[in-house]
Amino acid sequence: MAQFFTIALRNFLKGPTTDPYPFGETYTPENYRGIIAYSPELCIGCGTCEYVCPSGAIKLRHHESGMNFSYWLSTCCHCGNCGYYCPTDAVFNSNDFHTARAQSEKYDATINDDIASVQCSRCDAMIPRAVDALLARAYDEITDTVRHRASLCPDCRRLEQFERMYL
Amino acid sequence: MLSRYAVKSPWLFRINTGSCNGCDVELATTALIPRYDVERLGCKYTGSPKHADIVLVTGPITARSESYLIRMLDEIPEPRVVVAIGICPISGGVYRDSYSIRGPLDKFVEVDVNVSGCPIRPQSILDGVAQAIGIWKEKIKIFHKA
Repeated sequence: MAQFFTIALRNFLKGPTTDPYPFGETYTPENYRGIIAYSPELCIGCGTCEYVCPSGAIKLRHHESGMNFSYWLSTCCHCGNCGYYCPTDAVFNSNDFHTARAQSEKYDATINDDIASVQCSRCDAMIPRAVDALLARAYDEITDTVRHRASLCPDCRRLEQFERMYL
Repeated sequence: MLSRYAVKSPWLFRINTGSCNGCDVELATTALIPRYDVERLGCKYTGSPKHADIVLVTGPITARSESYLIRMLDEIPEPRVVVAIGICPISGGVYRDSYSIRGPLDKFVEVDVNVSGCPIRPQSILDGVAQAIGIWKEKIKIFHKA
């Protein structure tokens, strides 16, 4: 009973508990899963996010100069699968919850970014680039040899491996 | 004269078209809990479609609820603002292309505001309702001129 009165008195002194949101600031938890944030400089275009997305909000399309990453907010269910499975943390949920849009903006892609391919350092084939975050997952330390091998296309890497071992 | 006051207090009406109840819980939260309190914006929930000004639709419009939705929308007088709550009525969400889904909502009625999320945060609902009130004010102005 005493505890009840303590809480009642505290609430009486604290003032209204109404969140001032539409007219003021609100509290958003740090790990609230809101609209997706995407950093194209970290993305390797592996397509894992597209594969694990249960509502088909993420699409990766191939074109001449690389790939295109697009994200449609109107069907994203904010499950966080993309961020959980992304090998380089290029996709993650920000804590932005402002999802109210007019009907005219329904089909606008919220994110639409190009992932540029890079040229193989030995031939002129275009390959998806390997970013440091990915190399750090595969190797203990990123040496110049590792970097050099990552800059080769699969065919050139096989050739170079052959030259190193047998010639 | 009534229209001058009507602008300040649109009445909300919600339709559940086979929703998982997540968005409905959030709508109830927005209305009933003093922390979010949608009545600050002058809104009030109504139980009758004939009194509705802003219609909040949740759910992916299942085959069973389709006819009820159409009948309900027929009863709501113009001018009205239709707000799609959650990703289900907007695009079908995770249920898109399912055999029992007749959505999205804009096949049946002209939607004005989309609030996406699964489920949506009460603050986002307040955002959407605030946008809907803005649209409703313009609609009622045009309606009374005509």
